[in-house]
Amino acid sequence: MHLIPRVLLPLALIASACGGGDQVQAADGADVSTPAAPAVSTSTTPQPQPTLAVAPGEAALSPLASQIVALPSAGGVPEVRTSRVPVGMSFEAIGLSTAPIDPVGVLPNGEMEIPGAKRVGWYSFGASPGEPGSAVLAAHIAFDGERGAFRYLADSTAGDRFSVTFSDGSTSTYEIVERAQYDKDELPFDRVFERTGDPVITLISCGGQFQPTQASYQDNIVAYAVPV
Amino acid sequence: MRTFRALLGALLALAIVAAVPSSASAQADARIHLIHGIPDTDVDVAAGGENVFTNFSFSDTQDLSSLAGATLEDLQVKLAGTDTVALDAGDVTLPSSGNTTILAHLDEDGTPTLSVFDNDDSNVAAGQGRLIVRHTAAAPRVDIKANGNVAFANVPNGAQGAVDLAAGTISAEVVPAGADTPVVIGPADLPIVEGEALIVYAVGSLADDSLTVLTETITGLHSTPTRVNTGNSPIDNGSNGLALVALAGAAALALGTGARRRFATVGA
Repeated sequence: MHLIPRVLLPLALIASACGGGDQVQAADGADVSTPAAPAVSTSTTPQPQPTLAVAPGEAALSPLASQIVALPSAGGVPEVRTSRVPVGMSFEAIGLSTAPIDPVGVLPNGEMEIPGAKRVGWYSFGASPGEPGSAVLAAHIAFDGERGAFRYLADSTAGDRFSVTFSDGSTSTYEIVERAQYDKDELPFDRVFERTGDPVITLISCGGQFQPTQASYQDNIVAYAVPV
Repeated sequence: MRTFRALLGALLALAIVAAVPSSASAQADARIHLIHGIPDTDVDVAAGGENVFTNFSFSDTQDLSSLAGATLEDLQVKLAGTDTVALDAGDVTLPSSGNTTILAHLDEDGTPTLSVFDNDDSNVAAGQGRLIVRHTAAAPRVDIKANGNVAFANVPNGAQGAVDLAAGTISAEVVPAGADTPVVIGPADLPIVEGEALIVYAVGSLADDSLTVLTETITGLHSTPTRVNTGNSPIDNGSNGLALVALAGAAALALGTGARRRFATVGA
């Protein structure tokens, strides 16, 4: 019962992916032309019923987009994937004795959602602090004339420690390893919002020049931390 | 007792020996899933006259990604344990790249068939997920409703529709095209997960009362937010100095519309 079907692997592994169709080099040297789509080739020999029908989504339908809207979860808060939800933090070195943490997502314009002046937003589509990837905690430097929770994030330095409390009552401590200031257009989004890899806690606020016409700051202040 | 996985190993060994080293043999980008979407029909799958896997049952999935670009010769689907050929596919060349699902299902008339779907695995916007629906059941045209409204109308067997949505939950149901009843599938809650595509297949047979759905998920399609705006008013003084923490409270009190205007002037 040994089984290596004799013709199963024609070693058709030389494929060029340019233009309309791929040229596949068969093992015996013959060129086998396959259409770009559908990618399943049917036998050239007439076959008895039933035959292979290829239906590569023949009619891609246009959804009536205005009529299909996902029901947001309660309160517009995104569904949370982790079991360890951060609920509060303390960072004495930047003058933050305590602040509640809210799970947040994105605004309709694609920006990260940020809660009020005295609160911290946790990007809940990403990691929770301590999980693989980057856990993003962002808070205002100043909001509606109020001093924000991360008013002094720019004063944090490597070695500073802060603590996060979780919904299960536990607390974890993290240590700043790097602080950076970026023009907002040059924020390293892929690094900041990384979903995999070693756990990093990424604190974000604003800094640099305030631009009154846009009611916004020029830069982002970012502090990267790791579990202690 | 042979498993397809073991066979794949053998095939790959063969491929490694025989493949031209410098050729485009690295098909790491390709993802090919084979799904059994015909209820109550266990099958054996043969290629080159030999069974490559047996007792492949409804809703079973095989990952064929490692065979990307290869041609399966004389591919046949037989009723399990028999020589009865249910579907004779001839030589089948697997895609060499892309994200593909090959689904064994019934056509509108109830005849077994294979459909090849090119899955849209492009990234979705931050906060969104993708819903893809495919009519692959032995049933006439249908309307697919989402949250009570028709989202995809007059969908024939073999067709698909797709839409990106804010993460959340959709209540979906399938009805005959142009009608409200009978509800032939659902209502079912579908989770639209951020950064993922949910593919929903309507499968089975209306005549046999075996209509149901299979789902497939593609992960890792997330994007990042476009911006992080964490401040809309000037700070309470012109410095970030921590020494001024003590003054911050008083300064905050002084902050008002007038103060904001004053700082605005300074900053401009």
